[in-house]
Amino acid sequence: MSLLEIKNAELKLDGKDILKGLSLSVNKGEVHAIMGPNGSGKSTLSYMLAGRDGYELEGGEVFLEGQSLSKMEADERARSGLFLAFQYPVELPGVGGISFLREAVNSRKKFLGEEELDHLAFVKEVRKVASKMFVKDEMLKRAVNVGFSGGEKKRFEILQMAMLKPKISILDETDSGLDVDALKIVSDGVNAQRNEDNAIVVITHYQRLLDYIVPDFVHILSDGSIIKSGGPELALEVEKNGYAGLINAA
Amino acid sequence: MLHKVKNNYITSVKNHVSQFKENSFRKLASNDFKSWPSPREETWRLSRLGVLSRKEITPIIPDFKKKFSSVSQFNGSIIIRFVDGALRKDLSSKLPPGSSLNILGEEDSLKCLHKFKDSNLKNHPSTNVSFSCTPSIVKLTIEKDVNIRNFFEIIYEGGDDNLSVHPALYIDLQDNSSITVIERFNHLSSLIMPLQLIELKKNTSMDSLKIFSDNQQSYNLSANCTFLSDKSNYNSFSVIKGGIFTRSETHAYLQGENCNLNLNGVYLSSKNQHHDLTTAIYHDVPNCTSKQIVRGVLGGKSTGVFQGKVRVAPDAQKTDGQQMSRAILLSENAIANAKPELEIYADDVVCAHGATVGEIDDEQLFYLKSRGISEKKAKQILITAFLKDIINESVEASMQSFVFKEAELALSEIISEEI
Ligand SMILES: Nc1ncnc2c1ncn2[C@@H]1O[C@H](COP(=O)(O)OP(=O)(O)O)[C@@H](O)[C@H]1O
Ligand SMILES: [Mg+2]
Repeated sequence: MSLLEIKNAELKLDGKDILKGLSLSVNKGEVHAIMGPNGSGKSTLSYMLAGRDGYELEGGEVFLEGQSLSKMEADERARSGLFLAFQYPVELPGVGGISFLREAVNSRKKFLGEEELDHLAFVKEVRKVASKMFVKDEMLKRAVNVGFSGGEKKRFEILQMAMLKPKISILDETDSGLDVDALKIVSDGVNAQRNEDNAIVVITHYQRLLDYIVPDFVHILSDGSIIKSGGPELALEVEKNGYAGLINAA
Repeated sequence: MLHKVKNNYITSVKNHVSQFKENSFRKLASNDFKSWPSPREETWRLSRLGVLSRKEITPIIPDFKKKFSSVSQFNGSIIIRFVDGALRKDLSSKLPPGSSLNILGEEDSLKCLHKFKDSNLKNHPSTNVSFSCTPSIVKLTIEKDVNIRNFFEIIYEGGDDNLSVHPALYIDLQDNSSITVIERFNHLSSLIMPLQLIELKKNTSMDSLKIFSDNQQSYNLSANCTFLSDKSNYNSFSVIKGGIFTRSETHAYLQGENCNLNLNGVYLSSKNQHHDLTTAIYHDVPNCTSKQIVRGVLGGKSTGVFQGKVRVAPDAQKTDGQQMSRAILLSENAIANAKPELEIYADDVVCAHGATVGEIDDEQLFYLKSRGISEKKAKQILITAFLKDIINESVEASMQSFVFKEAELALSEIISEEI
């Protein structure tokens, strides 16, 4: 059984077809990259998977470990082990970083039947993970994403991923707006979490990120469906010839 | 029929006045009380008092034997207690050196009345009725160069069904002095009409916190008139959560240069409550800054009103006036009104204003839910943050946790009803 199975997903936004029969199967231990030009439906796909209101499927289905997601709210999906790193992380004025993380982690732990961490133990754990991600203490004390630089926001997303230990993570353009150093930090953070029991879907516009997070499979998304799949070499083809060549050939 | 009942209150106010010996200022004021404001009056359009004219109300005769019921919330605070609108020295603290509490005589009371009559509070019902009926005008004086660290905690309590209560307080901060004043309104069901006159002389500073938490059947029509001289600072924050109808109206006159004024607050409304924060800031001289930041959370069938007026006189160049109001509606039947009013007659000024009324932000809600946090918890987090944000920004650090706790109590009531 696949960890994540997307079957013929169809989705409309504002009456316009955005996902047009998209299928993808992701197994444990795999890293998939989805590449596509702007407007091809990458973020729409990630919001659909995460269960955002208004992104319900018109046709097709999605399964997480064989369980249909269609009736599950976003919070239920997250507790079940699905994680989305946002392309544009949302600012939460007045919500402190630590208490936000603690609420999220405890929600997941409760679902898993694990014991919730007390405040001190939790802070210790966050600090340990954060220091690997070069997330400073001072940043954790601030309101979530408020006044963070682009790079800080992305690092904070990956910190959340590390704390929540999801089964499947969807990273929506986590590379956008990062310089090379930041890209390396974020990629190291993601790579450290790869294991035999989870899977990662890296969504990106550019090949660059895939030098750092090396995928097992690469898929080209164009106009709401996957037009080509292959190995890491497909990403290099995009880099060399652009999307146009691939799209025309398909 | 309506008319007759309305006249009854006018008559009982007049009768009440006649029992005082020194009553020149009372007579003047009572002659000007001809009716409750009509909804045709612009500042009362959104907060209608019609229901008061259908009630049989009489001014309270203070019971000086009444015990107090609200206990102090601050260690070491200097308590000043009003029961039934009357100062109770026996239930108040001894004042620290450099400060004093006096009852004003007739002449000084008349001067106070004139200050209100020269202001735009001249027709406010509390002006006329409370100058008529107050047991006495109490003056708190802080002498020159005196800085009092301990909080003044002013507790207003008492009242009863169908009675009107009329505390009147005049705070005089003499040059270079500073104080922090916390006022808590904790009346039983009644009509409360507090009057307040504040004079901030040169280079003074006052932090003010008001918690309106009268019983849920009360009406509170607080009227505050504040005058600021050169280099004075008035930093005021109100929490409106009590009463069936609570309106806090503050008029601040910036009369000296380099003053700094904040009239901020939150209202937390549920069930049938009507809450109103009305402020008016008059920039009469150059180089002053003012801020009005107001946030509201509403559930049930409650209504919230924010009316913020900023007037910048032709001479008041280099004025910086900011005004921002935001309300979150948690129920389809709740209503929030915001009425900014900017009258700017000077050209070299920075004045910004904005008002939003809406529901909880979708994107923020989704972000929290996408982290596994339930919708209910997520909403609670966001509303709490909405209040925490303004409290942290506007309330003096040592009072933040108290204010937050006060707000949180009301909030949990709204949330339990709605989410
Ligand atoms: N709320 C919306 N309503 C209507 N169309 C939308 C909405 N959001 C995105 N779109 C459209 O859907 C298409 C895919 O957008 P998106 O998924 O954001 O693309 P990508 O992430 O690949 O750049 C675009 O054509 C975009 O204009
Ligand atoms: Mg996108």
